[in-house]
Amino acid sequence: MTQPMIRFEADKTLLTSFGKQQLEIAFELEKGQLLTLYGPSGAGKTTILRILSGLTDIRSGRIDVDGETWRDTRLKINVPTRRRSIGFVFQDFALFPNLSIKDNLRYALQKGDNNQLMEELIELMELGPLQDVRPAFLSGGQQQRVALARAIIRKPKLLLLDEPLSALHDDMRHRLQDYIERIRRHYELTTILVSHDLPEILRLSDEVIWLDKGKIRQHGRPEIVFPSHSLNPKIPGI
Amino acid sequence: MKRINATLFICLSLLSLSFFPGRAPADPAQEVLVAAASDLKFAMDSLVKVFSGQAKDVKIKLVYGSSGNFFEQISNDAPFDLFFSADLDYPQKLEQQHKTLSAIKPYGTGQIVLWSSKLDPSKEGMNTLLQPSVTRIAIANPAHAPYGRRAEESLKYYQLYDKVREKLVIGENISQTAQFASTGAADIGIIALSLALSPQLQKEGKYWLIPESSHQPLKQGYVLLQHAKGNTGAEKFAAFIGSPIAHAILEYFGFGK
Amino acid sequence: MKPLMTDWQPLWLSFRLASVTTVILLAISLPLAYWLAYSPRRIKAVIEALISLPMVLPPSVLGFYLLVAFSPSHGLGRFLDKWLDVRLVFTFPGLVVASLFYSLPFMVNPLLSGFKSLPPALREASYTLGKSKFTTLVRILLPNIRSSLLTGIVLSFAHTIGEFGVVLMIGGNIPGQTRVASLAIFDEMESMNYSAANRYALVLFLLSFIILLVVYLVNHYFSKPQPLT
Repeated sequence: MTQPMIRFEADKTLLTSFGKQQLEIAFELEKGQLLTLYGPSGAGKTTILRILSGLTDIRSGRIDVDGETWRDTRLKINVPTRRRSIGFVFQDFALFPNLSIKDNLRYALQKGDNNQLMEELIELMELGPLQDVRPAFLSGGQQQRVALARAIIRKPKLLLLDEPLSALHDDMRHRLQDYIERIRRHYELTTILVSHDLPEILRLSDEVIWLDKGKIRQHGRPEIVFPSHSLNPKIPGI
Repeated sequence: MKRINATLFICLSLLSLSFFPGRAPADPAQEVLVAAASDLKFAMDSLVKVFSGQAKDVKIKLVYGSSGNFFEQISNDAPFDLFFSADLDYPQKLEQQHKTLSAIKPYGTGQIVLWSSKLDPSKEGMNTLLQPSVTRIAIANPAHAPYGRRAEESLKYYQLYDKVREKLVIGENISQTAQFASTGAADIGIIALSLALSPQLQKEGKYWLIPESSHQPLKQGYVLLQHAKGNTGAEKFAAFIGSPIAHAILEYFGFGK
Repeated sequence: MKPLMTDWQPLWLSFRLASVTTVILLAISLPLAYWLAYSPRRIKAVIEALISLPMVLPPSVLGFYLLVAFSPSHGLGRFLDKWLDVRLVFTFPGLVVASLFYSLPFMVNPLLSGFKSLPPALREASYTLGKSKFTTLVRILLPNIRSSLLTGIVLSFAHTIGEFGVVLMIGGNIPGQTRVASLAIFDEMESMNYSAANRYALVLFLLSFIILLVVYLVNHYFSKPQPLT
């Protein structure tokens, strides 16, 4: 494709614990790539995901995805969330408590969709024996996998992951990073990830945007944005 | 999914049963809805019993309450056929509003008494109210109950009003007032003679007739209302009230002429 | 003269009134509570205050104003009477309308708290999965506020059963039509027929208690944490 998959330009006032902040971002992303948003709390990372998904609006700007304009403040175009082809993994997973795992996944399907992908995902995520269980009875890692499966079952054009692994311990974290990688390659999903974890970022990302106070501080390949951190995972002051 | 709304489903099924109305109403031409001032409770029960013995095809439905309340409701087209007020003012006002069908006829004169289950009011008459053991005195609401107005007048006549004002307990209507007195919530009450003559109150306490000279006479009237147009049962009952036997019953229950 | 058996009509009237009112309230309150929970408009505060107003007004006052408002002699009452042959004063439908006003806050407020207590991410997740607002409401929101729904239903029902002042004013206490149980009990008490009054009160209490008990038991049974569906 000559055109990038995603073109994003946004301008918005954020209310943070530091006071009002202007969010001014623009970037482009190629299809199938994984972009990580990195930066201190309140920098605007989650907001960007929400803007892309239509859950939060902008003062001015434009979002184009795969040839479709999802938002254009000048032309007054605003495609509602439910018509945007996205998959969103929320920080707290937002699994539906009243539905089993299987039903959580099935909920995402439309009439006429076959169950094949659902069964594939259940197997891929190793959730088979748990599929009739409700989310409240699952461990963090299991819920994580369900949230991920549910986000991708519609084969969205854009996958948005909001700190999906931050609450997990290293071992589980590694395994889920594997899943994310595997799924992304398998289904060719364009992905935007919010993360604080450097090894993770280095491992998974094609590109990184370092956000600070609502503006892009750096944007590029991970080795270039974090040259000295390929081994040390911890970052002060987050 | 199947389990989710089970409770609600049960609730809603139960509730939906109630959309089916109860039994069909009886033939309206022979149903008579009577609004009667509460002091008529025992007299009216008796009148209806006797009347129903004679006119078996007429069904009288009684609603007791305060005359003031009935006035408000009838002014707003409450579907009563007959109104027995504890005075003449309310029927006259309704007449002015063109809500009445017949002329206002008197059915008696109301009298007030002192009644108590704890003391014998006949010993000291009105001065019983000054006794230290009397901490609460029940009267009907002078604002809208005719008996209450007369009670207030008597108290003022005997120059007792200011002295006992703080002890007054106001009943919504005359029968609630009697209830305050009979349950002992009030130590003594100024109630209707007709209620004091009821079997229950006769058994429970003693009364003393307050002299008629101490208050405006309480002439009481009844009237057929617009709603009764064409209702032969209502006309029959109204006519019955004028009969000698009805007069005798009313007199027996304390509604002297 | 006094019947040996309790007259069941007032009890039946009370239950009918409470049931009909509750069902209609549910239908009205769901959209209202939904709007109050999720709309960004500022007029919400005004609406919320208006809805809770019946809780603050003395019931007889509410009844009186409704009586005047629906009186066939003028205004709305006359319109209804003349053109639709509908009377809302001294009739059972009139009691229902009055009860709708009177018990509205008892249905709306629990539903509203219920909606507000759900994490916003649940709704948002449903939208990201391509579902409409309506589907989200029916398949995600409502099933997760079941206990609020139950509270609303129970409170509205109980509140309406206990209604007195409102129904007295706008109903007229007409036997067979608007003499509900609470009025019948009061009548018996005023006539000093305490045993009859006690009988009514006891039956009312028992029947209401049984209904509420059944509802709560069923709710407990179905809301035991169920790992498997």
